[in-house]
Order: sequence, then structure tokens, then C-alpha cells
Amino acid sequence: MSELADVIAELNEDEAKRLVREKIDAGVEPMSIVDECRQGMDIVGERYKSKEYFLSELIVSGEIFKEAMAVVEPLLEGGKQAEPLSKMVLGTVKGDIHNIGKDIAGTLLTAAGFEVYDLGIDVAPGVFIDKLVETGASILGMSGLLTPSFESMKEVVKGVEEAGLRGKVKIIVGGGIMTEQVGEYVGADACTNDASEGVEMCKKFAREVK
Amino acid sequence: MIKETMTREERIRAAVNLEVSDRVPIVPLIYQFVFRYQGIKHTEGLKDAEKAFKALTDTFDDLGGFDAMIEPDFIWPASSWRICAAPTPYVVPGRDRISDDQSLQVAEQELMTVEDYDKIISKGWNGFCEEFLPRLRGRSLESLDANMKKLAAIRKRDAERWKERGVPVLSGASTMSCLMILSLSRTLTQFTLDLYRIPDKVEAVMDAMVDDLIENITNDMRFTGLPWIYFPLERGSCFYYPLKIFERFEFPYLKKMVDAFVAKGFTPMLHFDTDWTMNLPYLKDLPKGKCICELDSTSDIFKAKEILKGHMCIMGDVPATKLALGTPEDVTAYCEKLIDVVGKDGGFILSTGCECPVDAKFENVKAMVDSVKNHLPAC
Repeated sequence: MSELADVIAELNEDEAKRLVREKIDAGVEPMSIVDECRQGMDIVGERYKSKEYFLSELIVSGEIFKEAMAVVEPLLEGGKQAEPLSKMVLGTVKGDIHNIGKDIAGTLLTAAGFEVYDLGIDVAPGVFIDKLVETGASILGMSGLLTPSFESMKEVVKGVEEAGLRGKVKIIVGGGIMTEQVGEYVGADACTNDASEGVEMCKKFAREVK
Repeated sequence: MIKETMTREERIRAAVNLEVSDRVPIVPLIYQFVFRYQGIKHTEGLKDAEKAFKALTDTFDDLGGFDAMIEPDFIWPASSWRICAAPTPYVVPGRDRISDDQSLQVAEQELMTVEDYDKIISKGWNGFCEEFLPRLRGRSLESLDANMKKLAAIRKRDAERWKERGVPVLSGASTMSCLMILSLSRTLTQFTLDLYRIPDKVEAVMDAMVDDLIENITNDMRFTGLPWIYFPLERGSCFYYPLKIFERFEFPYLKKMVDAFVAKGFTPMLHFDTDWTMNLPYLKDLPKGKCICELDSTSDIFKAKEILKGHMCIMGDVPATKLALGTPEDVTAYCEKLIDVVGKDGGFILSTGCECPVDAKFENVKAMVDSVKNHLPAC
């Protein structure tokens, strides 16, 4: 493991900033800095899975990752950017304004190599569909914390079917009250109440749709 | 139907005292459910307190009645202007960006800056609020004070009206923990970063807050005359934080508040949203038979019974998803399991897991209320 990956995994924000700057100044390839940051985030994910880390550590590491990317990304030339694992459309469904779970999932998905189109909160069904068509994304992630969000999610799934995209788009729903019953009710391919688990599910989808 | 031999108040008090009662008491949180069920809009309810109160009593009657109201009406939180909660704005369905038939929601945003921490440290929570709340609300201190007093008077009147119906109200005042107030006021992300970046300062802020919160609630309780404190908790749980954070930033302040309230004869209802299963053993350090541990269905309520049996009354936890998507048979089966396992040997109040959702099916809510009237804990 590189030193940068290690300090991110240890949530050492100041040291992570220092190392990123040091590597840039030393002329290290920006994409390799991104890879090291992602390795650190992978370790955080593993520690979360083994219950050594909690949601707070996902939040802190996510912020460290975002700070690093803010410095490194402007240095990436178009041609040198790595191919994303997959494109993904993400949003909290209509009638629900909760953003915390969605934002954490978005950060973790970006860190894992997904190209995430975050539509925000209270997103109307048609907006999800339009974005899927515009981007050609093969994964759709919908978030909701309240039970009325189930109807909104179901409506989006119906819209995906009507747009003829259902065979091309994997759908995952997430939120604190999600159960298998909800996943079945809305017609999703996967359902989770855990952002880190959601990333693993999306990685599996990315392998399947390639 | 089980023959009832106790009053509602006696039944609830027996549960808190960890004694067996004539049947398991039931106290659901039905406030959001009432709006869609009764076909009234949130905007109407906010404008017309009488209409909203009638919707509440009509729903109570339609459900065949239950053992207590947690709040007497829709005016939350119950407290003086020197609030013991985060002053987070609500998004009101039909008024703000969401449609009429949705739930009231909290619009979490960064209300307080890191610089505000120094002000709390130097002025205390109440001193800080004298400057903070007018700045936030764009109104004078006098105007805010007058408004809160008016709302508190309405609540007190509505609690009296429930009392006339023989229904106790379990919230003489409402407070959050220091951690909960700061997390909601800074936002989860910023507050979490504060805990990792400037932990000593956050601790000093909490030290400067806690006595004011106790004093404010004591004053509010004197005004309402109700001995119950509603205590919403969410952000300090193991869902968010490792135990080392809970042990330093949540539990010592929670314990100080609970101990002070219990010493004054009040009963705190600790409303635990999110998963607190790992935190539950700490509750054994709170006074025995003096508090309620209310769970929202994400904590393991059966594990809670194992841990807190003989120490603290447990309340909960029919899942919102089951009330919205399930059948009456599903709900009855789950409630009977709760009654049998968590209700065994007393110390249990059946309730919704947090709020009964706005889209719950009436027949499911009725099945939940009826379950305690038809089923006794297995011997």
C-alpha cells in the first residue's frame, strides 16, 4: 500500500493534503495519484464492511478524497482519464428532500470509479429518464427515506420500462427503511440501506452491463 | 377482547416501573398519518389549530382509542424560545417545494458556523441563542419569545383537552442532546468533520451547553405541569459513530441530563432513531425504572429486551414499511411477537417505529392498535 493510500485509510487529512501536493510538485502522473486515493478509499470500505469503521469514517474519508480530487482533477487531461467503471444516474425521488444518504453514496461511488450524474433531491420521474437517455448511463440509483418515496420509485421504474430502457439499465434503490419487500414492490434490481453495500452492488452491475 | 382493569395512565406508569399491567399499553406516533387519512392539508393544519386538533381526535376515535398521546397537537417542539433543539426549518407540504400529500420534512442546512462554537463557549447556549435566533429568524428576541409563549399556551390547553378525555400526554417538554443539536445545526457532514478536526472545541461547546438545556427544560416543565420529557435522539448512534465518539460526545451529556430530570421527578422518553443496538448496554447506567427507551425498528428491539430487561421500559417498533406496504395479518403477527417477547414480564409499550407514515393503510394501523387489546404476552 502506498503512503498516500495509507494516510487516507487512517483519515489523516493534513498528511493526505501534503502528500498529494508533494506528488504533484514532483511531477507524478495525476492519474496515478487518483489511483492511490482510490486504494485508500477501498481500504476504508473494507474496514467499514468488517465493522472496524462506521459511517463517520466514510464521511471523513469521502471529504479527504473530494479535497484531493479538487486539486488533482484539473491536472487530468481528457485522454488520460481512466474509463469509468460505469455511468450512473443518482437522485432522491420526488416528494423526498433527504440528501445525506444519497450524497454519501455519490461520494463513495465516485471514489470507486463511477461517473455519477447526481440530480439532487425531489427529482421528478421524467428527469431521471431524460438523464438516462442523455448520458447512456447503465445504472440508476434512487434514494428515499420516507415510505411515500416507494410510489415515486415505482413510477420511475415504470418510466424506464416505457422508455424501452429497462433491459439496458440496472436499478438500485437505497435508504434507511429499505427492505427486500420494498425492492420487489418498486421493481428494482437491488435494494440496500447501506451505502457501502450499495457500492458493491453497483460494481457487480458494472461488470454485468459491460 | 382483554378485560381492562387499569386506567391509561396506570398502565403506562406500570410499564415504566417495569411492572406487569392488565394488557400491554399502546402509544403510537400518528401525527403525519392523520393528515392524509383525514384529507386535510399541512398548510390548513398549520393555519387552523382547531381543525388539526379535531383531525387528531377523530383519528384517535376511529382507531378505537389508545393509551396516550406523545404530543397533544402538531406544535413541536414544546419549549420556550430558548429552544433545546436545533432550529432547523421544516419543509411544509403544499407550502414549500413538495406536494400537499407528502410528509413534513426537515431541511437540514448549515445554520451554525465553526465560529459560533466560540460564542457558545463564552456565552453558554442561552446567551448564544439571544444573538443566534434573531439572526436566523430575522425577528426580534421579543417577537420570538412572544410567539413561543403563545404556542406553548396552545399546547398546554390541548394537553388539558386530552386529559378531559382520560388520555395522558407524554410530553411536558422536548429536548435534544447536545450532539443532536449541534449535528442538525452544523449538518451531519460538517459536524462529523468537526468531531475529527477539532474534538476539544466541540467538547468545550457541549460543556457550555448542557446546564442551560437542563434549566430550560425544567422551566418548561414547570409551565406545562406534565412530568414527561420527549427526548429525540438520532445522531449519536453506532449507525453513525464508533463507540469512542459516543462515549465522549453523547453519553456523558445524555446521562447528565437524564439524571437531572429524573432527580426532579420527570420521566424522559428517549426516542432513538437509527440503529443504537451497540449503544444499548450504556443505558444500564441510567436510572432504573425511570426512563423509556423508544426504538424505531432499525435497532434490534429483541436484543434490547435481553439487555435492558429489569432496567428500562422499551417502546416500539412496528416498522413504517410494514404499515405502508404490509397487510393487517403481517402487522398483527409482528405486534403479537413484540407483545410475547418484549412484553414478557412487563416493561413494554407498543408503538410505531418512529412516526406512522403518511401513507400507512388505515387497516394496518388499526390492526396494530387492536393487537394489544386482543393479545396478552405468552406465559
